[in-house]
Amino acid sequence: MSFRQRSPHGSTKSSPQHPPRWAQARKRGADGKRRRQNEPESSVFEENKPRPEDSRLDSFTTPEGPGPLSRCLDWGTAVEEDEMRTNVHKEIARHRRKLLINEFSRERKSSSGSSDSKESTVTAELETDEVVLMRRQKQINYGKNTIAYDRYIKEVPRCHRIPGVHPRTPNKFKKYSRRSWDQQIKLWKVALHSWDPPTEGGCDLQEICPVDLGEMETESVGSNSTESQTSCQDNDDTCSGTPTKVRHVDYQAEGEFDLEVCLSEPLKEFDTVS
Amino acid sequence: MGETGKEDYKIQSFDSETQKLLKTALKDPSNVDLEKVANIIVDQSLKDFVFSKEAGRICYTIIQAESKQVGQSIFRRSLLNRLQQEYKDREELRTRSLQAWICYVTFICNIFDYLRVNNMPMMALVNPVYDCLFRLAQPDSLQKEEEVSAGRAADVPVVLPKDCKKHSWGRGGAEEPPLLCAQHLLFLLKVDCLVLQLHRIGEQLEKMNSQRMDELFSLLRDGFLLQEGLSSLSQLLLLEIIEFRAADWKMTDAAQKYYYSEVTD
Repeated sequence: MSFRQRSPHGSTKSSPQHPPRWAQARKRGADGKRRRQNEPESSVFEENKPRPEDSRLDSFTTPEGPGPLSRCLDWGTAVEEDEMRTNVHKEIARHRRKLLINEFSRERKSSSGSSDSKESTVTAELETDEVVLMRRQKQINYGKNTIAYDRYIKEVPRCHRIPGVHPRTPNKFKKYSRRSWDQQIKLWKVALHSWDPPTEGGCDLQEICPVDLGEMETESVGSNSTESQTSCQDNDDTCSGTPTKVRHVDYQAEGEFDLEVCLSEPLKEFDTVS
Repeated sequence: MGETGKEDYKIQSFDSETQKLLKTALKDPSNVDLEKVANIIVDQSLKDFVFSKEAGRICYTIIQAESKQVGQSIFRRSLLNRLQQEYKDREELRTRSLQAWICYVTFICNIFDYLRVNNMPMMALVNPVYDCLFRLAQPDSLQKEEEVSAGRAADVPVVLPKDCKKHSWGRGGAEEPPLLCAQHLLFLLKVDCLVLQLHRIGEQLEKMNSQRMDELFSLLRDGFLLQEGLSSLSQLLLLEIIEFRAADWKMTDAAQKYYYSEVTD
């Protein structure tokens, strides 16, 4: 089903005076309705509706809490959480299977016996805490629920991604410290800003260049991206269309099973957007 | 889609404008106000008993369509939250109109039946559904209901038994007793609703929380069934559901013969 969430209530960010650029690039308002671009009134910080997410966020940011289910949830939110939780469990199982398959096939190819120990350690070191996984998934969803992300995946299909150049979604199943994970998410979202839509104040046209993660908030790419986008669509039929189609093609286009790539993204059937 | 579509979703009772809206919601959900659609569906389900029995299906289809088209779940969220709102005010609803209350219970059970999350029933609805069934099964003073709902009760087609032991009519007079006095009719409606829901979702509900199902059935057995002057039809319905559950929510041949076959003497 879907991982799309409504806009966050500035969970990890401080509440600024002016809504930051990323809020205006959010493609859906807090009520879930799609927003037209350049609609300044719909910035998430200007909405005064009390949000059920507040109670949900609280339960997520305290790992010592009783569990992810909060009693005061409305049914809509409760069911969405339910759905996220069951999806996460499915993903864990599938992730494990993939790791095992991959380890097994690597073991058969290589003659050394060291892959034996590798297999058990890799699967043993997965993050399986439901609370953690759901929190991470939510953070990923916030990043993906942006116009920038949409533009990014439309422009750069997974088969054409260059590692180190194109942002990659952090792998929620790997063991990381909380700080490390939060930092990865932050850097990932910053990198996605390269694909922000042009703002009202005009955009600086830039070449598509490798994103320097040390910089903050690079300007969006201008005509180059649209050119490459259309050419991609014209020449390669399979690269155009909805994100779902793009994802589908990736699996077909890649001859060899690329574990790294697969592990970095949620599973396609659960994530109709990316 | 045409006629078959209407038939499947039982939307004939809506005006043509609304029918159009619903059909668009089924095919192109991102272009309609899904919150409005959810409210329309819930409103209608509280009025139209036939619709409330099958509204789960149209809801399910809209949810799937929305998820596929835009990967969102606005409709589901609106539907559930509206349902929750009605649930919170259910006592008022029940006081206002017993029929609307019965429609609500029918609707929420239908939703529970149809809307699943990764092939599991919605956890959030389990206790509310139980609460509704318990409320339905609670024997309470029927005098008020007699006044309030007697008129509306006639809207629901039910088979009426001819006996009515509790009330005596026209003592010594020649007039025919009504088929069923209001009190028993209301009772029958509640039993009918209860039994229908348990047939449809009893097994699933029991899996989610067997303790509450035990409590519900002991309430049915001891409270309901043993009530004085229960009409024979009500008794029959209750006995059937008790047996049904005892047979692990399956219809046995014996039960089929006894309850559902024509008896030729």
